Amino acid sequence: MKKELKLTVNGQPYELYVKPKTLLVQVLRDHIGLTGTKRGCSDSSCGACTIMLNGMAVKSCSILALQANGAEVHTVEGLAKGTELHPLQKAFLDYGAYQCGFCTSGMLMASRALLEENPKPTKEQIKEGIDGNICRCTGYNSIIRAVTAVVKGEYKEEK
Amino acid sequence: MSKYSVIGQRVRRVDGPEKVTGNAKYTFDIVLPNMLYGKILRSPHPHARILNIDTSKAEKLIGVKGVVTGKDTLGKKQGIWRRFPELCDEEILCREKVRYVGDPVAVVAAVDEDTAEEALDLIDVEYEPLPAVFDPLEAIKEDAPQIHDGVELNINVTRHIEWGDVDEAFKKCDRIREDQFKCSSQAHMCMETHDAVASFDYSGKLTVWTSTQASYYIQALLAGMLGLREGDVRVIKPPTGGGFGSKFELDSAQFCASVLSMKICKPVKIVLSREEEFTATKRRTPMYYYLKLGAKKDGTLLAKEVRVITDGGAYTGMGATALYLTGFFSSFPYKYPNYRYDGYRAYTNTAPTSAMRGFGAPQSTFAGESQLDMMAEELGIDPVEIRRKNGMTPDYVVPGQAFIQSCGLHECLDKIEEHIKQRRKLPPNHGIGIAAYGFMSGGIFNWFDTPYAFSAALVRINIDGKVDLFTGACDIGQGSDTTLSMICAEELGVKLEDIRIHAGDTGICPADLGAWGSRETLMNGNAVKRAAADAKNQLLEFAAAKLGANIVYDMDIKDRWIHLVDRPERGVSYFDIVKEAIRGKDGEVIIGRGHYTPHRKGMISPAYSFGVQAAEVGVDTETGKVKLVNVTTAHESGTVINPVGIEGQLEGAIMMAGGYGFCEDQPMDEGKILNPSIADYKLIRSLDMPETKILEIDTYEPEGPFGAKEAGEGLTNPTAGAIANAVYKAVGVRINNLPITPEKVLRALKEKPKQKK
Amino acid sequence: MIKDFEYLAPKTLKEALTLLDKYKDDCKVICGGQSLLILMRQGLVAPQYLIDIKGLSELSYIKDGKDGLKIGATTTHRAIEKSPVIQKKFSVLAEMERRLASIQTRNWGTIGGNICHADPAGDPAPVLIALNATLSLASLKGERSMPVEDFCLDYFETALEHGELLTEIRVPPIPPHTGTAYTKFNVIESDLATVGVAVSVTLGAGDGVCQDIRIALGAAAPTPRRAKKAEAVLKGKKITDALLKEVGEVASTEAEPISDIYASEEYRRELVRVLVARVGKEALARAKQA
Repeated sequence: MKKELKLTVNGQPYELYVKPKTLLVQVLRDHIGLTGTKRGCSDSSCGACTIMLNGMAVKSCSILALQANGAEVHTVEGLAKGTELHPLQKAFLDYGAYQCGFCTSGMLMASRALLEENPKPTKEQIKEGIDGNICRCTGYNSIIRAVTAVVKGEYKEEK
Repeated sequence: MSKYSVIGQRVRRVDGPEKVTGNAKYTFDIVLPNMLYGKILRSPHPHARILNIDTSKAEKLIGVKGVVTGKDTLGKKQGIWRRFPELCDEEILCREKVRYVGDPVAVVAAVDEDTAEEALDLIDVEYEPLPAVFDPLEAIKEDAPQIHDGVELNINVTRHIEWGDVDEAFKKCDRIREDQFKCSSQAHMCMETHDAVASFDYSGKLTVWTSTQASYYIQALLAGMLGLREGDVRVIKPPTGGGFGSKFELDSAQFCASVLSMKICKPVKIVLSREEEFTATKRRTPMYYYLKLGAKKDGTLLAKEVRVITDGGAYTGMGATALYLTGFFSSFPYKYPNYRYDGYRAYTNTAPTSAMRGFGAPQSTFAGESQLDMMAEELGIDPVEIRRKNGMTPDYVVPGQAFIQSCGLHECLDKIEEHIKQRRKLPPNHGIGIAAYGFMSGGIFNWFDTPYAFSAALVRINIDGKVDLFTGACDIGQGSDTTLSMICAEELGVKLEDIRIHAGDTGICPADLGAWGSRETLMNGNAVKRAAADAKNQLLEFAAAKLGANIVYDMDIKDRWIHLVDRPERGVSYFDIVKEAIRGKDGEVIIGRGHYTPHRKGMISPAYSFGVQAAEVGVDTETGKVKLVNVTTAHESGTVINPVGIEGQLEGAIMMAGGYGFCEDQPMDEGKILNPSIADYKLIRSLDMPETKILEIDTYEPEGPFGAKEAGEGLTNPTAGAIANAVYKAVGVRINNLPITPEKVLRALKEKPKQKK
Repeated sequence: MIKDFEYLAPKTLKEALTLLDKYKDDCKVICGGQSLLILMRQGLVAPQYLIDIKGLSELSYIKDGKDGLKIGATTTHRAIEKSPVIQKKFSVLAEMERRLASIQTRNWGTIGGNICHADPAGDPAPVLIALNATLSLASLKGERSMPVEDFCLDYFETALEHGELLTEIRVPPIPPHTGTAYTKFNVIESDLATVGVAVSVTLGAGDGVCQDIRIALGAAAPTPRRAKKAEAVLKGKKITDALLKEVGEVASTEAEPISDIYASEEYRRELVRVLVARVGKEALARAKQA
């Protein structure tokens, strides 16, 4: 029996009816159509589905959609403001912090959550911040360099 | 100041904005109207005859729209080695026999994935299990079960490479070593699993969107298997989430989705689960290595004998190439006056083994570089010195095999030697090990039997000067879209932002053999450069007429300025000439064509890149745990077109090759892979990644576009060998079988006789 | 593929207990779901009713007082990791949490869920055992208390009875001159333990004699367990390196590890031997500073 689900995604309110077994990632990708968040595994290990829920980085494949009832969700699609990219996005572009791009949404959201909780993380803390995300292409170091650049203030957001 | 305007610059990749905004639509994301979801039923047996398949219950399940088995196909066998029909041994949807746990037997299309999965449980398959064999050394015995009809002793491919007289040469050696190594399997672990959306329409045309490294191969193989004309099959490669060698053969997602779609005339999407990805897609070829090396006491290598038996798994795929290349690269990067290689590929009832980044060279480098260090120690010669003494040099001829033009190996050795000296004082139980390699820039031997040029490109200049670049090259993350756009922009004399690339769509792009063997930069780069030059020449004709300069002057375009090379201040805007040229051609757009197939370059590769890697490890002698501390690589890849791209390829290669060295593995029991999930398949995450350093050596490869050659694949060759040598340097134990796990190291430490200081 | 189920989200503990009592075997409790959902996706667990207690904020707290530390069962791993009072007074818990899976998992997964999942390789249980922690189990019938070390009965099996819910974890105040340390062995930093060891050492005031010692092993038996024979070697004695070595050897005989694709039984025993000595030494150093 389907149940009501109300949540905001990237500032936009949604009202849906979902089967209880529906995962949050399915609501985002299949019901709302935000395909930026990816899925890369069946055992909560790869981190490609990372989003922010009530300010925390979480794996959307490992949360029942109904548990996000009333929650504020942010996905990669909400990073840019119109055509103005988020500093992390600019840094990823400049530092080559992605290659095939499949893990990139998860990496960006994990990094954003990290910086919103702690704007001045150490290199070790940045590594910890993305340790839940697998990348098979970059070897992680370019991602760490990109995040470090944002931490150092290379991409001060214009107010 | 750089002589180039575009290449060599640190640029943002052209596909960047789409990827960092989550806008890029991978095959994984594609949803079409009326699309159905497919799921594949796979054999639970490693070896069995299929007696009967009853799909009636599945067909009746509400929501199921189609069920297909091998009987619904044309019953053809395919393989990527089209030139040799006996190696085209894979039906994909099995009709009579299954040969590994995971071999497909049926596929269902339904309104959603859950229904499709439910339907699989309703398909009754009657199997007659057959005796199975899992180890190649067992498979080649007389009494082993025969896996493919007509293949004696299960040996389906053999290779032999020889020059000089190895047996005579050994007699002249002062020292001879014989060593054995075991190289493990490895999973590609692309972040995007194999997937395809196939749509067959009522006009008899098939369109397939798929995550692939070679849309042309998929087009041709699908056409063959489905009885369609190649021109009626269009394969489109959307942004692709990784390949690493797993995605240039026809796979079960593509074939099964196509067969289903043809039956029901609706789009069908199949996405392999991560478990299927681990168990039922092709993997790195495991190998048993036997090496005999002979040297003089001054360190000159006189002879090398190599014997390899590879675990082929259930089907051939690209395994035949891996068998050859491992033997060829066993001779790299040294000048052996005498060399002999014999390779045997044996079928086993396990998931087929095929191509993975490095293509047999990580295996040969692990074995060869380990043995070379052992020989160096026996002779009392420094590991860098012995490599220096025997290392390949520019313009070296590998007898009867290949011609090496550019080669920066010695400069790489110098740089690594310097690096090691700088890290002189290491903590206890730390060690630095090195490994040297050389790798190809694409392959020449035409096992696919293509009638087309290996690479081709089309350049179209529009009225506003914007350039459309059409190429069959496939960007799977390695950055070929950007690299090729840069080459095009440089040659044409415009800016990177003037280029718009259309790649990997067989409907509109000329054929390219795809992204494997590290070929795109050199081969497709040459095609793109020629196409751009062709278009440029058409513009120059008009510019020459306009400028009316003395005939002795050459013209060129740089930074959108068409000018006399010797008098650059005399010129005209690119944009103006484009308008005039199109008018002059009666309104026809300017099209430039280019293609490239390596001719007179031997049968292996037109160019080779070289490098030396130093891995520093720290070993915990009580637990055997090996920590990768630092990996420094000196390498040369000709002119660097896309520096950010190369750095990324290097660091990514270390993650993959480092994993091959110490943690990635696919243990099996009775043909069943025991760790088919990411939680259980150990790979390097950000906290495990060592510090990395790149030392770039400047070289120029005449065969490559602007002097460029490969980078992305060769860099996976040395790491396992460097780690093995480093562990030995750190704690004095040799691990000759991969991966180098803590348990193996600890056991070796305990068995090591106590040494007096 | 997850099988369909009825979803219930009680708003109070009482409501949750009532549902548990009502549906008995037909229901399963979900909180963070970081372990449970994997099992459900594989079809290994398929309850008819799923009772979601993630919303029970009354069970999410960290309180420190005279009686020691009290952690509500639905407290997330991340909250424990970041808690100032835990970092200051029960730092081994924060250290253990920091290496547990990933930040994403810790943000949503809960300590109660982890303990009830009863994976012998889990990190919290050995640490809680070393800290002499107890669990509070509630049902409609009332409440009972149980030491953590008695809670796990077998692989993924606990002493929870029908209608019972884990509500609180209690860690008694740390005695003076006590040091507790935990480490786990793995090849990949954030991975599950191949073997995990937690040791708590309490010294006598000024004399350096070991008054109390608790050694807990993880991933070395069907359940997390204490190495009591090894403890007996040290109790009442002054701790030396030689003695720690002996303790490690005895502990390795008390372990009951399995052989699997990651490690052989022999190697796991070796890890127990080495790690107990190492962690014991670290705990001793902390006890001396305390």
